Amino acid sequence: MSVMDTAQLHLLERFLDLATVRQSLLVGNIANVDTPGYRTQDINFHSEFEMALAQNPDVPVLPIARQVPGLLARPDGNNVSVDREGLLLAELQLKYQAATTAMKSEFALVQYAIREGS
Amino acid sequence: MNLFGMMQLSGSALLAERARAELSASNLANAETTRTVQGGPYRRQNVVFAADHPLTPGFAATLASFTDWHAEGVRIAAVVEDTSPPLRRFDPGHPDADATGYVDLPNVNPVEESVNLMEAARSYQMNVSAIQSVKAMIQSAIGLAA
Repeated sequence: MSVMDTAQLHLLERFLDLATVRQSLLVGNIANVDTPGYRTQDINFHSEFEMALAQNPDVPVLPIARQVPGLLARPDGNNVSVDREGLLLAELQLKYQAATTAMKSEFALVQYAIREGS
Repeated sequence: MNLFGMMQLSGSALLAERARAELSASNLANAETTRTVQGGPYRRQNVVFAADHPLTPGFAATLASFTDWHAEGVRIAAVVEDTSPPLRRFDPGHPDADATGYVDLPNVNPVEESVNLMEAARSYQMNVSAIQSVKAMIQSAIGLAA
């Protein structure tokens, strides 16, 4: 294991990948807030993350998007909840920032080694 | 889809909502128009939205179809005319009044249009905040390199 290929970096990379997928689905849901018949899509973040960690690091993440059950549909068949999407969007943005910050500090460690601890 | 693709996706929604607001404004502006090119009073216009895959057909789209997730943008599938009958108002002095003294006026309901306009504006704002959130994510990803 090299200094740039740590378990932490791998974990963070997977997290950011999945966060990107989820973000795109959330953004798609918001874009279709007025599309008749559109159904809210999302991934199961926790199980997908566990699965992504278990598999070979070279395999790209391919999460499965599902229609979210239990949402109230409007008469036109659309079940996008602006509250749900907005909340998840804000949450995901903060998590993404947390992950990039953690990644940055990982790189800072490497840089510390490059500078021979000075 | 990368982070920039998501901005495109929200952009498609901005375009769609803007078109909806424009049509609503046009409906309000023409609420009293009795003469049109097609003849007869103005008819209320409405947009139909459809979910749209943002990738253009080709290799990338085919590849994406093998993965199970695709976020969808939105597009305007059609602009349709409201087929409900025109409103009739008794006004014998009006130049477009028929033999019985009634004028055919557009089937535009100002209250309905105002609500539609507000809805479009709110949806537009929602998409703008989605773009802002994506922007913040891109910025924190760029921050990795700094």
